[in-house]
Amino acid sequence: MTPELLQNLSADNFWPAIAPEVMLGVLALLLLVAEIVLPKKRHDVIPLISLSGLLGVFLGILLNFKPVGLGETTFNGLLRHSEGSQFLRAFFVLSALLVTILGIIALKKQKMPKTEFFSIVLVITAALMLLGQAHNFILLFVALETVTVGFYILVSYTRTNPLSLEAGLKYLILGALSSALLLFGIVLLYGVAGNPSALGATANPMDFDALRVFLAHNPDNFLASVGIVLVLSGIAFKIGAVPFQIWVPDVYQGAPTPVTAFLAVASKAAGFALLLILAGVFSSYSHLVISVLSIMAAATIVFGNFAALTQHNVKRLIGLSGVSHAGYLMLGVIAALTPGGGSQAVGAVFFYLFAYLLASFTVFGVMTHLAGPNDSDQELDHYQDLAKTHPFLAGVLAVGLGSLAGIPPLAGFMGKLFIFVAAFKAGLYGLLAVAVVGVVVSIYYYFGWIKAAFFPHWRPPLPTGSVADSRPVRSAVSLPFGLLLGSLAVASIILGFYQGQLGAWLLGR
Amino acid sequence: MSPFVSLPLALVCAADFLRVDLNSYLYLSALLFAIGFFGVLLRKNTLVIYMCLELMLVAATVALVAFSRYNGTMDGNVFVFFILTVAAAEVAVGLAIIVALFRRRQTIQVEELNALKN
Repeated sequence: MTPELLQNLSADNFWPAIAPEVMLGVLALLLLVAEIVLPKKRHDVIPLISLSGLLGVFLGILLNFKPVGLGETTFNGLLRHSEGSQFLRAFFVLSALLVTILGIIALKKQKMPKTEFFSIVLVITAALMLLGQAHNFILLFVALETVTVGFYILVSYTRTNPLSLEAGLKYLILGALSSALLLFGIVLLYGVAGNPSALGATANPMDFDALRVFLAHNPDNFLASVGIVLVLSGIAFKIGAVPFQIWVPDVYQGAPTPVTAFLAVASKAAGFALLLILAGVFSSYSHLVISVLSIMAAATIVFGNFAALTQHNVKRLIGLSGVSHAGYLMLGVIAALTPGGGSQAVGAVFFYLFAYLLASFTVFGVMTHLAGPNDSDQELDHYQDLAKTHPFLAGVLAVGLGSLAGIPPLAGFMGKLFIFVAAFKAGLYGLLAVAVVGVVVSIYYYFGWIKAAFFPHWRPPLPTGSVADSRPVRSAVSLPFGLLLGSLAVASIILGFYQGQLGAWLLGR
Repeated sequence: MSPFVSLPLALVCAADFLRVDLNSYLYLSALLFAIGFFGVLLRKNTLVIYMCLELMLVAATVALVAFSRYNGTMDGNVFVFFILTVAAAEVAVGLAIIVALFRRRQTIQVEELNALKN
């Protein structure tokens, strides 16, 4: 190792390109320091520090949306910055912002240390942002594991609650299993692409560009196909696609509600970001990728919707409905892979993710507010008479659920419409039929939830001497949180009518 | 030929015989991976499941080092260090969760961990 070698290696390091991630990492450490330095009475400032930092990073990304180095690779090809990755960065920071707000509300109901929660959310966000720009398998694996290990901690965060721990253990085992599958896939691709006697062999097989060139030279290599399928199944675990969805209902139920929201939105979006990136790398094997994804998408839509029908626990319900949303999103990814779909389908996937973020956080916000001390116990019954006692919450909930169900004119409807149009253009008629049936089925359980909140229904009189009511006590909504929920709901409505610059940018690419 | 002379020759022959080719490493790796994978699916004790998960990571590492050696690219060897670090972090968090769960529930058998249901 001579100094020149090190200099050459570091010449490509362009630190300003990852300034947001670095700032989030520093902020995460700062929170831990603040906990030690500040007196105990001032500890409620810590989440506010985190919030203001996230807000600053979010505005920074939006204001400097096209920074220097866009469309180039930096750090010796580890990262590639594109407009899509910029969108994902803003997306992840926004969801971290909302998760932090939900965390402040949810953690008040628990006797738990609080600072670590916000700190880990920041670390995960930074890793998610790097994941959206990955251009090398080593970086991909390390960033993905940072996210996954962080989520192990967050899922089992309320460690006094055995349900949360059980969810953490289930997520741990299945998450580690999926990581091992992904890793073995990466190893196989690395080994095949580096084989010196093969055509188009590369000295740098971890790099996505080099790997794509190799795969283009060898379009029917058996080991490479196995590797691709293993990598895809590792990612399918993260997005909760059938047959890797078994963890979803249990983990969503046991995890603290803000973490459930983070898993449902940010972790899923990261999976789709990876899927879109890798679909480009595996483009010479697109027949294999498309057939694997098509089977998964159809099974995911059918399973998610029909399994959600019978759920009474709202966290399980929203988890299984999230599985079906993953199916619709996979439809968009498949459309992006087929020649007719193209980049418009990618825009449709991003738009759907954004509409899903708005609607999900509206619903999760209401859930977090209404949850009692036992976070896992949130039944449909608990929503009874919500419209009478809290008309505002009920209205916001109806908008969020309506957007998830895809009721016009809400944003969720437009998201589904764009995806279905892209799928239609790509000629995926069979999958489209499955998806439309899935949407119709989904209306049943989403409206069951709305019905529980709006319409009174008869309950048998309680036997004498029993506990009067197991429902958690409802408190009034504080003004800032009410404003937040209201603006999320209004954003869902406005985005349904008018997509504006966001839509033009996403769909016009 | 006396045995003293033939000994080095025998060693050379043995060394030649012991030169393992890439496929043997890959078979070993695939076998380890399969043992780990089916162990995770079939075993009932959480700690054994955890060991099987580690076995899968080790299987990937064996294949990685073998590929790295035979292809002459160094990335694989570097990647192994990342995998080891990640595995260590995973074990640290995982065992903490298992211990905390055992304190609450007095069991780590998977069939008894079924409190999460509809």
